[in-house]
Amino acid sequence: MVNATKGLFISCDIPMAQFIINMNASMPASQKFIIHVLDSTHLFVQPHVAEMIRSAISEFREQNSYEKPA
Amino acid sequence: MGHGEKGRPSKRHKSSSKDEHKNPVVEDEDAYYGEEFEDDYRDGEKEGKKRDFTKLELKVDHSNRPLWACADGRIFLETFSPLYKQAYDFLIAIAEPVCRPESMHEYNLTPHSLYAAVSVGLETETIIAVLSKLSKTKLPKEMIDFIHASTANYGKVKLVLKKNRYFVESPFPEVLKTLLRDEVISRSRISHEGSTGNDGFTISKTVGEIEGRHDELINEAELAAAAEEKETHSFEVDPAQVENVKQRCLPNALNYPMLEEYDFRNDTVNPDLDMELKPQAQPRPYQEKSLSKMFGNGRARSGIIVLPCGAGKSLVGVSAACRIRKSCLCLATNAVSVDQWAFQFKLWSTIRDEQICRFTSDSKERFRGNAGVVVTTYNMVAFGGKRSEESEKIIEEIRNREWGLLLMDEVHVVPAHMFRKVISITKSHCKLGLTATLVREDERITDLNFLIGPKLYEANWLDLVKGGFIANVQCAEVWCPMTKEFFAEYLKKENSKKKQALYVMNPNKFRACEFLIRFHEQQRGDKIIVFADNLFALTEYAMKLRKPMIYGATSHVERTKILEAFKTHKDVNTIFLSKVGDNSIDIPEANVIIQISSHAGSRRQEAQRLGRILRAKGRLQDRLAGGKEEYNAFFYSLVSTDTQEMYYSTKRQQFLIDQGYSFKIITSLPPPDSGADLSYHRLDEQLALLGKVLSAGDDAVGLEQLDEDADDIALQKARRSVGSMSAMSGASGMVYMEYNTGRNKHGGQGQIKGKPKDPSKRHHLFKRRFG
Repeated sequence: MVNATKGLFISCDIPMAQFIINMNASMPASQKFIIHVLDSTHLFVQPHVAEMIRSAISEFREQNSYEKPA
Repeated sequence: MGHGEKGRPSKRHKSSSKDEHKNPVVEDEDAYYGEEFEDDYRDGEKEGKKRDFTKLELKVDHSNRPLWACADGRIFLETFSPLYKQAYDFLIAIAEPVCRPESMHEYNLTPHSLYAAVSVGLETETIIAVLSKLSKTKLPKEMIDFIHASTANYGKVKLVLKKNRYFVESPFPEVLKTLLRDEVISRSRISHEGSTGNDGFTISKTVGEIEGRHDELINEAELAAAAEEKETHSFEVDPAQVENVKQRCLPNALNYPMLEEYDFRNDTVNPDLDMELKPQAQPRPYQEKSLSKMFGNGRARSGIIVLPCGAGKSLVGVSAACRIRKSCLCLATNAVSVDQWAFQFKLWSTIRDEQICRFTSDSKERFRGNAGVVVTTYNMVAFGGKRSEESEKIIEEIRNREWGLLLMDEVHVVPAHMFRKVISITKSHCKLGLTATLVREDERITDLNFLIGPKLYEANWLDLVKGGFIANVQCAEVWCPMTKEFFAEYLKKENSKKKQALYVMNPNKFRACEFLIRFHEQQRGDKIIVFADNLFALTEYAMKLRKPMIYGATSHVERTKILEAFKTHKDVNTIFLSKVGDNSIDIPEANVIIQISSHAGSRRQEAQRLGRILRAKGRLQDRLAGGKEEYNAFFYSLVSTDTQEMYYSTKRQQFLIDQGYSFKIITSLPPPDSGADLSYHRLDEQLALLGKVLSAGDDAVGLEQLDEDADDIALQKARRSVGSMSAMSGASGMVYMEYNTGRNKHGGQGQIKGKPKDPSKRHHLFKRRFG
């Protein structure tokens, strides 16, 4: 029996995949969005979470970058 | 995310997409952002005005003139101009260097820098005249007004110690009258009945300040030599009241800051010390220049001289002591550098062994005779607790003696309260502070202006590199990606206290470090220092790689032994140092630094560490442009990507970038095709390491705490130590404690708030995004 699920295929580097997995783990069960962890750089997730992941990652990266105060 | 970004995406990536999304959802927030936009807009307009230079009048022969002067006090200097050298000497005397890359320097006129200018003898009119001579444009009126306003009162009054009597001196009798109207000052005055002139001021002719002829020359040597007869008026003050008088004269009171000078040639009370520079001690041009600022008018001025590490600060110190030729108290930061200073004195001067002594907890020597040099540490002098009988005697001697010169090494590390204590304990005629990096993260550096004196001279790093006086360093930031397992642990909330340990122990970083050590040891035969602030990492790395290490608890004897082996033994080519090695450990042989962990965003630490390898190596002709080796020293900073370390690392580099250094980014180290023989190649080894890090206690993986580093960010966290009563009651100045503003390493969530969200601080390119 073949099951088809619509989803989003994410391709990223190893640390970012871990970041997304960690994000997923910190969510309550009803909001978990990862359908399948394919390998260390590829994930298959719910289709609606793209923006959320994007903004979480950009916030994370913002924390780790320094801008010289003018 | 960052698909189209070029260059260094993960550092520069700043997206406002999050804000845009939130805007339509929440009303209030929308309003807030609207406001912010308004601010931005206005700010942008103001900035626009500041950036509009169309009104500046360009002189006809502007191409011959080297600098641009802007109304807001900023000055830009073209380093390719034929007049660069002269213009630089002049600018460094009157303005604060902001950023000095290769072709264009930026300076800023500040009240402090102008104070320094006045104190080395430049006068208001001279400053304006020379500046307008050098400027491509007509000098903006705002700048002229600013110079007038800032220098109007500076340097008008001098405090002179002559034959053990303090005099307040000024060429302007009316200024002295103003001062005497102040109650505190008039009470401190000692009047002599004999000299009842019209004002009662003593009038004397002195060798005048540097003056005149500036319109033609800006030559430093002649600046110093130019002398003219001038009348000075003075009155005497009570030595016990000097401190109060000085305080009344500060800008927040009467605003006549006093210059302190020491007329050492006419000091017949204090015995001369028979010492001279040895003939082979040849001060380099910039050392000469810094000394000429100090001794510009035949007297010794108090102040700070800023030279890069390895540029020969000790020779400057020793030469100053040799010129004054009085008893000298030399303060260093730790016992190792005390030994080094004593050695430097013996190396460069003709001082006899019995005239110099070291005073540390290990060696308590006393000099015979009535004049000599004492080398000791700040801690020994400022120590508040009970001393042994022997050291009590020595400290009593230090207290009772009148010192000709107080020589202070590494002034940037010493907290203000300790300075006050040292200065109050020791009576000295002249204070000279030496440092390489006049920056502190807590911005307390301006205090030094009043505690010691103005900055007398600051050398340009790149000029010294070009002259072959310091090593030409290739700086590199090595990006090490986190491994999957380490990053997963790094992200977990419960590991927030171990974050640092996790990114420092990142196996990819370890492998990069091992690769670099092997490369430099085997291929180039270099001597390598590896720095790690994190003690856990330091021990792990050193044990695994079987290299000697030095940290806070290493005894003085053992340190000396390890350093000796590193210097002389051909099999000991790498040593691991904790932050005890940051300052003043002199290891001239080393030419490679690998930094695996560091002290948050401390710009000073970065510069000090670079300083360990700045001492020039090899033959002079190889080092000069076109020589055999373009770079002869290497500075690697290993950074785990996607972690807080990226933030700190960029921040740390700012000081060096301002000095004109650039950092090369290296990715993929070790190269993909090699590295199988390095440690932690296999996953199970990496996992074992991870287990070790996770099972170590939080205390064990934290930062090393040293008694010495009572400065900036080290003291964010309270630390446990045996305290004195005064410390517990808060009396031992906690002024220098920087409170947690969210940049705390282990702060976890607090981290986010630390970023400047103030719209005025946002780069103008990003302001548009809020439109």
